[in-house]
Amino acid sequence: MIRVRDHTATLGLVLGLLLLWEVAGQLRWVADGTLPPLSGIFTRLVSEWREYSPHVIATLRSASLGFVFGNVVAVLAAVCFCLWPLTERLFRGINIAAFTVPPIAVAPVLVIALDGDVARITLAALLVYFPTMTAALAGMQSADPGAIDLIRAYGGTDFKLMRHLRLRNALPFIMSGFQVAAPAAVLGAILAEFGSGARWGLGTFLLGSLGRAEPDRLWGIGLTATAIAGLGYALSAILAARMTDTNRAVNVSVAAPAAEAATDSQWKRAMALAAAILLPFLIWQLLLWWAELSPIIAKTPLGVVDYLLTGKTAASAQERLFAALAETIPITIFGMLVGLGVAFGLALLSFTSPIVTRALLPFALVTQTMPLVALTPLAVLVFGRGVTVTLVITISVTFFAAFVVLVQGFALIPRAAFDLVSVYGASTTKKLNLIAIPASRQWIFVAARLALPKALLGVMIAEWLATGKGLGNLLNQSRGYLDYGMIWTVAIVSILLSILLYQLAGLAEWWLSRRPADGSKSWN
Amino acid sequence: MPFMTNRRRFIQLLGASAAVTGLPGRAFAANSLTMQAAWINDAEFAGYFVAIDAGFYQAEGLNLNYLSGGPDVIPESSIIAGKADLALTSPDTTIKIIAEQGAPFKIIGAQYQKNPVGIVSLARAPINSPEELKGKTLAVPPVNVISVQAMLAINGINKSDVNIIPYAYDPTPLIKGEIDASLDFVTNVPYTIEQAGEEAASFLLYDFGYKTYNDAVVVSEEVLKGKRGELVAWLKASRKGWHTNFADTAVYPPKFKNTWFSGTGRTIENEIYFNGAQRPLMEHSDGVFAMDEEGINANLESLARIGIKGSRDIFDTTLLEEVEA
Repeated sequence: MIRVRDHTATLGLVLGLLLLWEVAGQLRWVADGTLPPLSGIFTRLVSEWREYSPHVIATLRSASLGFVFGNVVAVLAAVCFCLWPLTERLFRGINIAAFTVPPIAVAPVLVIALDGDVARITLAALLVYFPTMTAALAGMQSADPGAIDLIRAYGGTDFKLMRHLRLRNALPFIMSGFQVAAPAAVLGAILAEFGSGARWGLGTFLLGSLGRAEPDRLWGIGLTATAIAGLGYALSAILAARMTDTNRAVNVSVAAPAAEAATDSQWKRAMALAAAILLPFLIWQLLLWWAELSPIIAKTPLGVVDYLLTGKTAASAQERLFAALAETIPITIFGMLVGLGVAFGLALLSFTSPIVTRALLPFALVTQTMPLVALTPLAVLVFGRGVTVTLVITISVTFFAAFVVLVQGFALIPRAAFDLVSVYGASTTKKLNLIAIPASRQWIFVAARLALPKALLGVMIAEWLATGKGLGNLLNQSRGYLDYGMIWTVAIVSILLSILLYQLAGLAEWWLSRRPADGSKSWN
Repeated sequence: MPFMTNRRRFIQLLGASAAVTGLPGRAFAANSLTMQAAWINDAEFAGYFVAIDAGFYQAEGLNLNYLSGGPDVIPESSIIAGKADLALTSPDTTIKIIAEQGAPFKIIGAQYQKNPVGIVSLARAPINSPEELKGKTLAVPPVNVISVQAMLAINGINKSDVNIIPYAYDPTPLIKGEIDASLDFVTNVPYTIEQAGEEAASFLLYDFGYKTYNDAVVVSEEVLKGKRGELVAWLKASRKGWHTNFADTAVYPPKFKNTWFSGTGRTIENEIYFNGAQRPLMEHSDGVFAMDEEGINANLESLARIGIKGSRDIFDTTLLEEVEA
């Protein structure tokens, strides 16, 4: 009966928090009424539903088309990468770029190069690709080696293996990839509505409503967008749960580079690396050639080099870019560290008092599924336009994925380790100190790698919509001046920055792993 | 490679509905013209909606395609990308891109003789001149930052004396006192502020030396050459639409409630206020869109103050002459 009592307590806490929101809204506690009561938001939402529906339909349409296209490409790519591992190595540059690219940096170019609907669907699909591809690949590669040997022994080809074993094995993984992909599709669709001049869509509606000074409308739109993203998440979670015995309600996969075949020569590895780095640039050049854009808009790789390094624009461009980077980089790293700290604290809390964590989870899930662009105006209402709002947004987008990874990490600690110290009468705090905290170190880095691109995106969106500083603002201003050289530069620099930070996290992990702390992995 | 030749078709197939309207191939079809507006559908474009609904464009033999704008739509981009033949733009960005990047644009008319952008503050803490902006926090849409810097320079104020933050077209921070002023259309925001129970104070950048047009009618040189007849027809029909709309500024906005203005998140009362407030900024003795030498010089001189070096030949007044003839 403990389970039932636990659930009642969780439900009670959730209701309590919702009630607190209602009271805070009614009494105008937060920033002079910018946090309206829940009841007010919902009454308004229901009474205006006729106005909402065409916008909701438009966003649903582009988000779901993007979801479908992105997933088809992702699964096909995963099949190729699994069948021919060389392709995975060649496409590693593309994959990392797809993972690290801040969508607001590519949105302006997509919106101008493609027509409204296509731009929205493409951006949604781009954000969907990586989570599904990695999940599917991990699923295919984790097929039971015994079964693989069996099929091989009976003369099964790689294709047979794929059809009868790997794809089937990957299904639950793909479903869990969908959980990350579904909210991402909604974010992509809304981001590309900004700037496209579309008549319909929640992003358009949000922009039109910003000028009305009515927080309840803004909250209504934000919560509607969240509901759509949350619905996609929930559907994928249910499908995933039905396909596996264990409930993978929350599962975040991280692509760890597969170990290169030991037989490969140095030369062969260097060639693959060079190809992986060159391929994104080649595709960039080909796409521009294909799209037939005006040279004012389309900047080739060499065009960007000219703009930033060798041309007559170089001095001014470098000055503006470095000033922006100096504002963006520190807050990105700081926000990510605080986000990781919050995740770590919550994960520890889940150890000591699981009920509190379970009550907080639904709210955490909301910040995870709420499209960033809808979250930002609300955060501005409550927190103003200073450093705080940037930090709040960055933390809220980074901590959840990190939290999930850490909790999964804790769950992998063998029970025997705890039983052992329990026998010696250790308190919960002792258990944390002795076992959980040292064991979490490796997971912290996995979490950090996941969080980094999100942190950069969070900071750039906050800068763009709220504070008017750094890369986000530079991007926005360059659009206004049709300075496409700078737009491409910011897009490329933000991808390179993400990759650099990503590699730094890997380096830090490698450095720390050489000096194991006392007590870590003591059960191995 | 067959897909290469069909790539536009491929995009069309992907984009199903919306793709059809905006492709360069379409934009250059005979007797059709695609215009890119500068903002979401509001009273700023009432004249065009009147002209479309009343069939003024059709009467001129023109099939007009209307693309809405928005806070993040840069109208000139639509021309460069071949999505539109004609765009309503802010002349400062247009002339900047012509001067600095050699964009092949011409301005063939001006909707607003006086740019409606101004500094809006609350009447209980009014800011009535550029001088009073010193030490204040001013919210400005990133696209308009150069306009504000020009106005400050013209009035001898150092731009570092004013704290400029990005403006998201939301007057809430102003009403809550979080910021001191914002840059917006004075034809529009004061109404929203009144609705929130406050009173607004404002001044036009135009009245403090930044004498620019707004919603300049911009086309590429290619379109100017290839579709001159259509452009003249557009000017003629649009002018008729505006004059019809201004006969009584309260008549048309309610008629667009369920068509042009539906789903914008704004009220019809707001549009009526806007429509009335914009009339004096658009009227000219030679008719809507007129560009006289004095006005053109004022534009060029204002922009020269922030280092944007335009020239008289950016403005092509010969189409307006054909309209009048």
